[in-house]
Amino acid sequence: MAFLLRTVSHSAEGREIVRTRRVDGDRLVIGRDPGCDVHLTDLAVALRHATLERVAGRLELTAEPGLWVELNGRKAAAGTLELATGGDILLGSHALRFMPTPAGSDEIAVAIERTTEGEAKLDKSAERLFTLGPVLPAKRSLAWLLVLLVLAAGLAWPIKAYYDRQQRSEAFARFHADEIWSSGSLSSAHSGLKENCSACHVKPFEAVRDSACQTCHASVHGHADPFRLARARPDLGRWRRIELAFKEAFDLPPGRCVECHTEHEGPRQMPVTAQRFCSDCHGDLRKKLPDTSLANASDFGRAHPEFQPVLIAGWNGRRPLLRRQSLAARPVENSGLKFPHAMHLSLTNGVAQMARRLGRDHGFGQALECKDCHDPAPDGARFQPVDMEEDCAMCHSLAFDRVGGTLRTLRHGEPAQVVADLRDFYRGRSVPAPSVLAPAARRRPGDAPDLRNRIQFGRGPGSAERAIRGIFSPGGACFDCHQVEAPPPGSLDFRIRPVAFPVRYLHKGWFDHRAHSTQSCSSCHLADRSSAASDLLVPNLASCRTCHGGEGSSKPVQSSCAMCHDYHMDAGAPSMLIRQRVRGKKRSTVVAEARR
Amino acid sequence: MEGIARTDLRHGASHQGFLRHRNFLWLKAAIGVSVLALLGYALIDVQPRHNGGSAYGYALGSIGVLLILWLTLLGLRKRAMTRGRWSLKAWTSAHVYLGLSLTVVATLHTGFQFGWNVHTLAYALMMLVILSGIYGIAVYSTLPRELSVSRSEMTRPQMIDAVMKLDRQLQSAAQPLGHEDTRIVSLSLDDNPFAAGLYRRLSGHYPGCRTARALAEMRRRLAPAAGEQAASIGNVVSLLERKAAALARIRHHLRIKALLEIWLYVHVPATFALIAALAAHIVSVFFYW
Repeated sequence: MAFLLRTVSHSAEGREIVRTRRVDGDRLVIGRDPGCDVHLTDLAVALRHATLERVAGRLELTAEPGLWVELNGRKAAAGTLELATGGDILLGSHALRFMPTPAGSDEIAVAIERTTEGEAKLDKSAERLFTLGPVLPAKRSLAWLLVLLVLAAGLAWPIKAYYDRQQRSEAFARFHADEIWSSGSLSSAHSGLKENCSACHVKPFEAVRDSACQTCHASVHGHADPFRLARARPDLGRWRRIELAFKEAFDLPPGRCVECHTEHEGPRQMPVTAQRFCSDCHGDLRKKLPDTSLANASDFGRAHPEFQPVLIAGWNGRRPLLRRQSLAARPVENSGLKFPHAMHLSLTNGVAQMARRLGRDHGFGQALECKDCHDPAPDGARFQPVDMEEDCAMCHSLAFDRVGGTLRTLRHGEPAQVVADLRDFYRGRSVPAPSVLAPAARRRPGDAPDLRNRIQFGRGPGSAERAIRGIFSPGGACFDCHQVEAPPPGSLDFRIRPVAFPVRYLHKGWFDHRAHSTQSCSSCHLADRSSAASDLLVPNLASCRTCHGGEGSSKPVQSSCAMCHDYHMDAGAPSMLIRQRVRGKKRSTVVAEARR
Repeated sequence: MEGIARTDLRHGASHQGFLRHRNFLWLKAAIGVSVLALLGYALIDVQPRHNGGSAYGYALGSIGVLLILWLTLLGLRKRAMTRGRWSLKAWTSAHVYLGLSLTVVATLHTGFQFGWNVHTLAYALMMLVILSGIYGIAVYSTLPRELSVSRSEMTRPQMIDAVMKLDRQLQSAAQPLGHEDTRIVSLSLDDNPFAAGLYRRLSGHYPGCRTARALAEMRRRLAPAAGEQAASIGNVVSLLERKAAALARIRHHLRIKALLEIWLYVHVPATFALIAALAAHIVSVFFYW
């Protein structure tokens, strides 16, 4: 009985080296110990690892306690191997291959081969081992992966969102992928459109058009006739020409809403229009549009025409004729009223004296003040028209009779009724009743007719006519304040010239009285120096310029055009002031009318 | 041999690095571009605020995208090494400095308006590419010296060879040892320094090093041993010490190589991601024009 061992190894060049050895006996001891029958120089093999013993036609395998081998591919501490079929034993890095042995044969052929070259791990030919190549994915595949990822998330997904919105699909309602295209927050006014890109970006690859804005802003009007606007534009410099050429090439029509009303600039309000925006055209408008009625203006402090308030230029019968007139021409107020402001505001004269006496009832101070007669409109921006009964009659009484505890007054504004009432008063009375008015009754400016009635005309027939002529004549109640149209001789058909004031003087610019509440009235309106109603008390440009200068001026209030004027001009406050009020910067500015 | 020994003065000294190429010509060009961009930003009045959609913004954006595409072309250009006015060195120099000037041009193009959107994504990727490039230049100018010092006159195959020789010696030195001992030595033999992943290579920190563990364990076993066994274990311990040193050399080398190469794994893929993001950025602008 014997084992025929063939040990196979390989030279550095790969050549096979075979050594044969014969081990006599029935036992084969495998281990790392040089004394073993099969000596394996593998540290994974124990000094004495396993024993094979030939029993009849089989080999019995027994590993040392705690050790194992791989027998025909199965891990085993003990087992049998049929000699007739042969088999494999794997031990560490070595394989023992038992050849099929015919029954009765004495010799068992065993091939011993090292299956793994331990040193193969460190392949010395591989400079590459030192690089990052083996531990990282290739740069190229990494690049492709990222490209696909970015294109899918940043391009394909938002485009899909756009078409989903077009089809109002369900997928769209959940997330609006095109929002990742938004370059910045919308202005606060438009923040509601955040998820609705195509409200403004209606068609792909078409710049936002005014029609998109007008879907909501249906009533906003332009600035002027577009053709005149185009003609008034300043000469294009070279850069503007280049810019225009680019805009043309990229389908950006000039003059769109969005050129001024820029968006995606953060959650901010529309900025104040810069002065340059206006002065580019208006600074030299007369040259561009010779037929314009507008004067050149480029800076409130330096180049602004004198104010041209709307004034009553004359009368067409009883209808006032309104016309804009420059304050430079020193126009007069043509109201038809007689009213000396200075006399009423005096601190020392009889008016002041009366104010002190009546003060308790009417809230007057030591003398009359502007506010005693002039009431601001509810919005505070302007004043209500002066009303005789409300604002004058506390002093200027039209009482002429007392019946019981009730004073009878002449009807203001109805001279025919005044005549009729007086006729009635004197009709059938032989004796006027001076007693109805106590002699010690307080005398007021308006009491004059009663006194005169009593003294001069109180005796018999004809006194009515005298009384009527009296009140329409110098010294009479009507004549004091009004221009009287004398009747033809023999008639008592006295008439009063109508009284009118412009409701609003400055139509083209905005002025708010409340914004100026820190100033006294007389610092702008020279009422205390005006002794005739024909004095126009609208302050002129120079007066405003004491405080207001243009953009960048050193005056206390820098006033760009937008403070008083609006590009989309209408009757209301300029949008700049509205926005400032909304932002809380200007407490006192009040938005007057709802903008038309 | 004359051509190698003598410097060709017509094209400047060939040992001059790309950073100093032609007396910093491209650094000056990049500073010029940046200063012009900054001046324009300061002088041109864009209402209501600077943004990429103004005329100046579009100009800066166009310059930026052309620069980025040209800078990317270095990836193709580098495969052809040439000399002269448009030498590869000139290209690399321009690549570095013009790439740096892009930080100014592109940042001004943004108008400092950032958000969670595709536009800022493109900007962020561009900055990532530039920062990785700056890192690359920094390591290229410092680490290669250390790389040649660290190999102590050895080539990389020699380093591997040293470990393999030590492994063979360990293999035979461990033959007389018992099974328990040999299992410990096998730990070291199975240790493949190149199996380390990215983090280990970059940090140079190998807490689970099997050779170190085997060395510590064998040292512990050396103390109580006596006689022939002590001699064998002592032999193995000294071999393991030498192997640990050889591994440390390889690992140091690996670390420097990783530090030298890692930026390209950011620079190159991020460049392509950037170009994709730029495409999305530009298409989106025109889509919602």
